[in-house]
Amino acid sequence: MATYEDTLLGDVQVYPEKGTVAFSAGLHGWAFTLSSFAKMYASKFGVDEFKMMERLWGENFFDPATKKWTNKNTGSATCKRGFVQFCYEPIKQIINTCMNDQKDKLWPMLQKLGVVMKADEKELMGKALMKRVMQNWLPASNALLEMMIYHLPSPFKAQKYRVENLYEGPLDDVYATAIRNCDPEGPLMLYVSKMIPASDKGRFFAFGRVFSGRVATGMKVRIMGPNYVPGQKKDLYVKSVQRTVIWMGKKQESVEDVPCGNTVAMVGLDQFITKNATLTNEKETDACPIRAMKFSVSPVVRVAVQCKVASDLPKLVEGLKRLAKSDPMVLCTIEESGEHIIAGAGELHLEICLKDLQEDFMGGAEIIVSPPVVSFRETVLEKSCRTVMSKSPNKHNRLYMEARPMEEGLAEAIDDGRIGPRDDPKVRSKILSEEFGWDKDLAKKIWCFGPETTGPNMVVDMCKGVQYLNEIKDSVVAGFQWASKEGALAEENMRGICFEVCDVVLHADAIHRGGGQVIPTARRVIYASQLTAKPRLLEPVYLVEIQAPENALGGIYGVLNQKRGHVFEEMQRPGTPLYNIKAYLPVIESFGFSSQLRAATSGQAFPQCVFDHWDMMTSDPLEANSQAATLVQDIRKRKGLKEQMTPLSDFEDKL
Amino acid sequence: MDDIDARYEVPRTADFIRSRAYTRVALQFPDEMLRDAAAVARALRRELAGGGGGGVKLFVMADTAYNSCCVDEVGASHIDAQCVVHYGHACMSPTSNLPAFFVFGKMPLDTNACGRSLLECSRESDKHILVLYGLEYAHAIDDLKAVVAELYKSHSGSVEVQYADVLCSVMSPSSAAEREHDQSDGNTHSNDVSIQSDGVATFVNNCCNVEGSKRKYNLGGLTWSTPIDDNMEDYVLYWIGQDNSAFANIVLTFNKCDIVRYDTVANQPSRDVSHLMKILRRRYYLVEKAKDANIIGILVGTLGVAGYLHIIEQMKYLIKAAGKKSYTLVMGRPNSAKLANFPECEVFVYVSCAQTALLDSKEFLAPVITPFEAVLAFTRGREWTGEYLLDFKDLITTEKPEISNKTEEARFSFIKGGYVEDSCTEGKEEQSETSLALAEVTEKALSIRNLNNDAVLYQGGANSAIDYLKARSYRGLTGEYEGPAPDSVLTGRTGRAAGYNHETTKSAQ
Repeated sequence: MATYEDTLLGDVQVYPEKGTVAFSAGLHGWAFTLSSFAKMYASKFGVDEFKMMERLWGENFFDPATKKWTNKNTGSATCKRGFVQFCYEPIKQIINTCMNDQKDKLWPMLQKLGVVMKADEKELMGKALMKRVMQNWLPASNALLEMMIYHLPSPFKAQKYRVENLYEGPLDDVYATAIRNCDPEGPLMLYVSKMIPASDKGRFFAFGRVFSGRVATGMKVRIMGPNYVPGQKKDLYVKSVQRTVIWMGKKQESVEDVPCGNTVAMVGLDQFITKNATLTNEKETDACPIRAMKFSVSPVVRVAVQCKVASDLPKLVEGLKRLAKSDPMVLCTIEESGEHIIAGAGELHLEICLKDLQEDFMGGAEIIVSPPVVSFRETVLEKSCRTVMSKSPNKHNRLYMEARPMEEGLAEAIDDGRIGPRDDPKVRSKILSEEFGWDKDLAKKIWCFGPETTGPNMVVDMCKGVQYLNEIKDSVVAGFQWASKEGALAEENMRGICFEVCDVVLHADAIHRGGGQVIPTARRVIYASQLTAKPRLLEPVYLVEIQAPENALGGIYGVLNQKRGHVFEEMQRPGTPLYNIKAYLPVIESFGFSSQLRAATSGQAFPQCVFDHWDMMTSDPLEANSQAATLVQDIRKRKGLKEQMTPLSDFEDKL
Repeated sequence: MDDIDARYEVPRTADFIRSRAYTRVALQFPDEMLRDAAAVARALRRELAGGGGGGVKLFVMADTAYNSCCVDEVGASHIDAQCVVHYGHACMSPTSNLPAFFVFGKMPLDTNACGRSLLECSRESDKHILVLYGLEYAHAIDDLKAVVAELYKSHSGSVEVQYADVLCSVMSPSSAAEREHDQSDGNTHSNDVSIQSDGVATFVNNCCNVEGSKRKYNLGGLTWSTPIDDNMEDYVLYWIGQDNSAFANIVLTFNKCDIVRYDTVANQPSRDVSHLMKILRRRYYLVEKAKDANIIGILVGTLGVAGYLHIIEQMKYLIKAAGKKSYTLVMGRPNSAKLANFPECEVFVYVSCAQTALLDSKEFLAPVITPFEAVLAFTRGREWTGEYLLDFKDLITTEKPEISNKTEEARFSFIKGGYVEDSCTEGKEEQSETSLALAEVTEKALSIRNLNNDAVLYQGGANSAIDYLKARSYRGLTGEYEGPAPDSVLTGRTGRAAGYNHETTKSAQ
């Protein structure tokens, strides 16, 4: 939470005992806060609700035998922590009765709790029954709404400090002022954050918040998409809102207009809004857009999907498009081999996406989902053992190159954008020479970054006095962009490789040293230099944070060891018996990690995984049957490439 | 000598030449048959002289500019030939100017083994069997029919086996045109009765047309017909021949059918067509990739197949209607070096005969797609449904395709994984087609200082070759010298680039 700290926002730590934490099962659609239970027990015990809430969390123990609260475990068998006694146990009991279909026991229990089940719901069995019972007993909406009502500031209050973070334009213009004051008479400023699938097929509601002014049915609005640049026409549309709707739970009601401070759903704009957009009045041509929401998780886990019946392909394509629209976090792409890929933030997220895809967006058509796939990177361990040379197809041009690993931290600096193609050369050479020990002059000779012109690899010109070199620069860079995207090992992206152009011999006639001759040659010589510099694979690694009591530590270490993870920090949280464990865990090993961890610690450990860094795999992919070589072979097979790597001799030429 | 006569069907060829009284004839050989070329020419000349057809001039042609499966009409017209005799594997694409006579050659086929495997195949499935074959096995089909009929008699089989026929071994441009006419008639007809409900079926069965109560198919020189209410999916296709481009053409076109290939070398059937299905998925990816392209190169891959000019025009129109820029390039058989000479093109459309249309290599800087794929990619709202066509003649439409009413909806790009906005046609519509248009565009392009050259050069940000040139760091001799004037003027080299006058010895590298 500390990462999100913001002085404007105030205290962002959350405390269950203050009701600022809700416990939920997102997949099953139920949730509770301590206050829901506190309310229930407060009347039963005749205690104050807030006191009850405090007792339901932390070091408060209750012994039903003595009917006494203590702030230490008395050691008696019946003494349990307040939360366990009053929240966890009842939930567990209900779930168990449901799952075992002990309906004769269940109905009296539910009656006591005041939960009413409809006749058809009583017919349900097992998991479906449990889901419905829990939804009726502890509906997620209640917990969520309670949190919103009690703990979120009103828009009028909130926008005063939010405006700085919200608005991209100058903070003293009319739009910023209107947002700050939440002014219903001001110009319309509306941010669309989500596209909600509508009941009629293929259409979406544009859902968002009105920050100032009001939006009305039939009004013409200016739509500024995520790629809009003030003053240009790109990603800009003027369209009229067909209908303004207020969403109330499942119900929706059409209204004439919606003033600021409210959320609104609009009909008729879905063709022009892809994921998010800023809406203003038609006339407000000098308004800047509202900053797009950023998501702090990146999609690292990917699966390939295909339909069971080949003729369902159009359905799948349409479904993927709609999935991408409805969930801003998911990434739907296609592999070179023609497979559709869905990338999500983690296993659970992906599971929900796949469920949505199949049930909501494809009308139940069956799909086949591949096991999760992780992407790797290719890098080098040492400087090339020799300068390699490749000849152009006409044999009249020769390129000489070497590869070497980048200095530690440089690839990350490029990732973070501290060093990039559009730097001021002076600033760049200062950073490179001071932090990474580069020669000042050399820093000016970086030709390009790649892949995608910004990636963490580069080409540096080390030639001295080569004629026509300026002419082939563009072609070499084109070859580099191509090669760095598909490395020589398994066609994964390259990372952290610096290619040095050592010498170039060119034909005297421009026609014989054109792009056609140089681009393929540059690609080949880059591959050759990669292969001679001890190529290695990089695998993605999660940072896992686990919170657990001391007795669960053994289980945690066991599971982590088994999954090639290692703990680098273990700290007891002051004032609690809980330990905070930080560990690195290879992403490829993380599938099923949380369920295994739960099993090994009887549910006492909660892991949280975030992508952290790329880790070099020590084994040599060029050595037959090594771990990395097998991995390379698997990737190549999956991508439909030749299983054998192209040998160095195909890339390198002899003089 | 008899061997040559039989294998290359010399007497039949001579009859053909005599009957039409041709005096200048081109003999076209593929590379693998070139060593027999002289012998065939000799035998043919002797045969002609013997039959009273002296004075016929024979020319041997080899090393065709595009692909040896097509008739090289340009080569033949260099020597004013009146007809072409084509030897070896042929794609049977209709010619545009010259009549052609095809000699497919004769490959050995073990009819007994093949017949038995065919019988076995018919037992496994209750579908009808349709026998298709490589043209080089056409000579053995009658034998095979007899063998199979015999086998059925002894095994009391009940499943029907149907055989495709060879379309023709003589092709004249007029008859091709006529056929095409029939075809287009048939198309409209077949659309009427088309039972496919998903409106996009227009191109689906164009390689077939309806005659009476039969549906007639023409593909790669083979022809067959089925009852009108049968779909091709109701048949098991039994292919006799090698795993070559003709087979690929069949598999990709009928990708929903069960297909068995009888390998004539190993003498056993195989059902494994997964490598071709992989190709199909890969083509699907290329179509998606083409959708993102702004600059498209049209590669002219044939100068003979009837209608190639028409389809090129149609492609140009299609690309323009999609708001993209096209450049037409003639470069013979494409290879990676030739394609990389045009790094501004993000995708190439290769107009060629059906059996050379699939061109894919890891070495290509930009993907190469077929005209059918181009139609899928550049027509908004068209989606890949699984139907696949390789032959462009089925795409030719008489009227220009209507420009899709521009929905301004953003397009979903599976390459970028999100919705993208196409640089739409709006701005371009305004440009008048005056002689100054190019100059105006150039001026405009040069006046906008593009801040991000990298994106233009390597990420497909360019909208035209002018944008691309503008972004390059080296733009050729610009005439704006910033350095000091040269010290002295020297005489340069003279001669051609292939070997200058002063270069006495050119070491063979």
